[in-house]
Amino acid sequence: MGMKEYIIKRLCFALIAIIAVYIFNFILPRMMPGNPIMFIMGGLKLEPETREMLMKRFGLDKSLWEQFLAYTWRTLHGDLGISFSYYPRPVMELIMTRLPWTIALLIPSTLLASGLGILVGVISAWKRGGYFDVIVSNIGLFIWSLPFFWLALLLLLIFGYYLPIFPLRGAITMGIKYSGLFDFIRDWLWHSTLPIISLTIWNFAGYALMMRNTMIDELHQDYIITATAKGLSDRLIMFKHAARNAMLPVVTSITLNLGFVFSGSIFTETVFSYPGVGLLTYNAIMQRDYPLAQGLFLIGAIAVISANFIADIIYAILDPRVKY
Amino acid sequence: MTVEDDITNLQTLLNNLRTFWNRYKRNKKGIIGLIIVLIYILIALLSPWIVPYHPYERNVAQPFAPPSRDHLLGGDDVGHDIFSQLIYGTRTSLFVGFVAAISTTLIGVLIGTLAGYFKSLDPILMTITDIVLVLPSIPLMLVLAMYLGPSIWNIIAVIAITNWTGVARIVRSQILTLKERAYVDSARAIGAGDAHIIIHHIFPNTLPLILATTILRIVNAILSEAGLSFLGLGDPLHISWGMILHYAQSCGGFSRGAWWWIVPPGFMIGLLASSFTLIGYSLEEVFTPTLRRR
Repeated sequence: MGMKEYIIKRLCFALIAIIAVYIFNFILPRMMPGNPIMFIMGGLKLEPETREMLMKRFGLDKSLWEQFLAYTWRTLHGDLGISFSYYPRPVMELIMTRLPWTIALLIPSTLLASGLGILVGVISAWKRGGYFDVIVSNIGLFIWSLPFFWLALLLLLIFGYYLPIFPLRGAITMGIKYSGLFDFIRDWLWHSTLPIISLTIWNFAGYALMMRNTMIDELHQDYIITATAKGLSDRLIMFKHAARNAMLPVVTSITLNLGFVFSGSIFTETVFSYPGVGLLTYNAIMQRDYPLAQGLFLIGAIAVISANFIADIIYAILDPRVKY
Repeated sequence: MTVEDDITNLQTLLNNLRTFWNRYKRNKKGIIGLIIVLIYILIALLSPWIVPYHPYERNVAQPFAPPSRDHLLGGDDVGHDIFSQLIYGTRTSLFVGFVAAISTTLIGVLIGTLAGYFKSLDPILMTITDIVLVLPSIPLMLVLAMYLGPSIWNIIAVIAITNWTGVARIVRSQILTLKERAYVDSARAIGAGDAHIIIHHIFPNTLPLILATTILRIVNAILSEAGLSFLGLGDPLHISWGMILHYAQSCGGFSRGAWWWIVPPGFMIGLLASSFTLIGYSLEEVFTPTLRRR
């Protein structure tokens, strides 16, 4: 199978996955016991006539098939419904205004986590079985078994309350007038240092362990033995030869990690009351805002599926050894 | 199958268990994990007799009371005794951990076996597995739990529905290799049916691996339950560590600096989950001797 067929195959899978999520999203509120109007309109106590009118207005009196077509028509036009808790703001608009705040957390924490992870992974693999390696492997395992949001809570308790270096909540100081862009960025950085650190911790262990393992595999390759035989220094072999090749799967996994990071941002933003899509998800759950939660899930799932597709393609292009 | 066959089967099983235990007990990490888990189980079983106060009763402590001799871990915003809540939380975590992990494994084993053994089912089952695998698991759990409503059984269901994919993939790949072994061919040659081959020849060989993954699924289930409860989707009738942290976060634990409300629950979750991780990895090492070198 050539590259072209491989890409088409992955594209088909991505499309099937998106359609599956989409149908799941459509069916979920209609499958639940009770009246779907409760999930689509909110738990308001309604007069029978009002309910009938709303059913008609939202097309819930029509057949499932007609509802599906109408739902698809709206979705394709970027209409994900109206939020209950931020009534009458559209779900799409809410997500789009919150998204930049989350991206502003994701980029620095991903760069930090992957950079540190690669460095620690290389050193670990280099001194395999040594103190550093044993400590890193055990800490990595331990971090995996800790409730991540608790680490964030501890950071907040220590550096927000006991040593009040950082603020307890928010992304910017409320009601402040900024003298310029620099002033704004400084205030944002002050607020988002702890969220970025906790997201970095969440991500770091995975990168470090992955880098260590691919690095160890790489060190058994013939070209490493050749390089050693030529008398090159350890440092040169590690960084110029082995690390370059071992980095490939780690770098492509940055896109694969998007779903994982999305999950992490829900906890981080909840702990630090940081107004991104993660906190929006938490609020949607607390307020039982069904359209908002579903909209967030749909957008998140599509983003993650697309990121996976892109990662597959990049990997196939960059690594000629990949078997399709 | 005759009765004598069953008896010899049972004896081999007992022998296998004995050799397994002899190997396992030499694994120091595995033993530490096992002891800690046993202590947790003991606490869970004895909790009604250990707790000094009823965990759901309000105003037994002063609101936001710091730790004292009467209230070892102080009180929360409405005067619950946090120590008693912590003890009761052990029950919820262990219960959800075990039941959800077993359900997850059952679903995974079923789908993995069907996909691995029956070629015609493989593409569709693996496509479903891949789709569930690619979806962000926590958002998926959140949406499902929100619709199903807060109950301990719904939490278990949600964890099982979203986490079986890993088990299915491992079981499938095991079965794909086992299927090609000579003894399966000879069983088929003497006329054994699919069900017989799966139950008598394939399962006994995948069981160790399934056990090790189940233990690691427990870790996952405990952390998922804690996460869902922390985000406010816990069962209000069953106090859990995640729920204590949810209240600490949303009811002013931070503006009061109430470390006694925030530190202990997370510690309980982390210690229990790490102990299961230790057990899981030790099992893997015992079952797959080739791993021991790493």
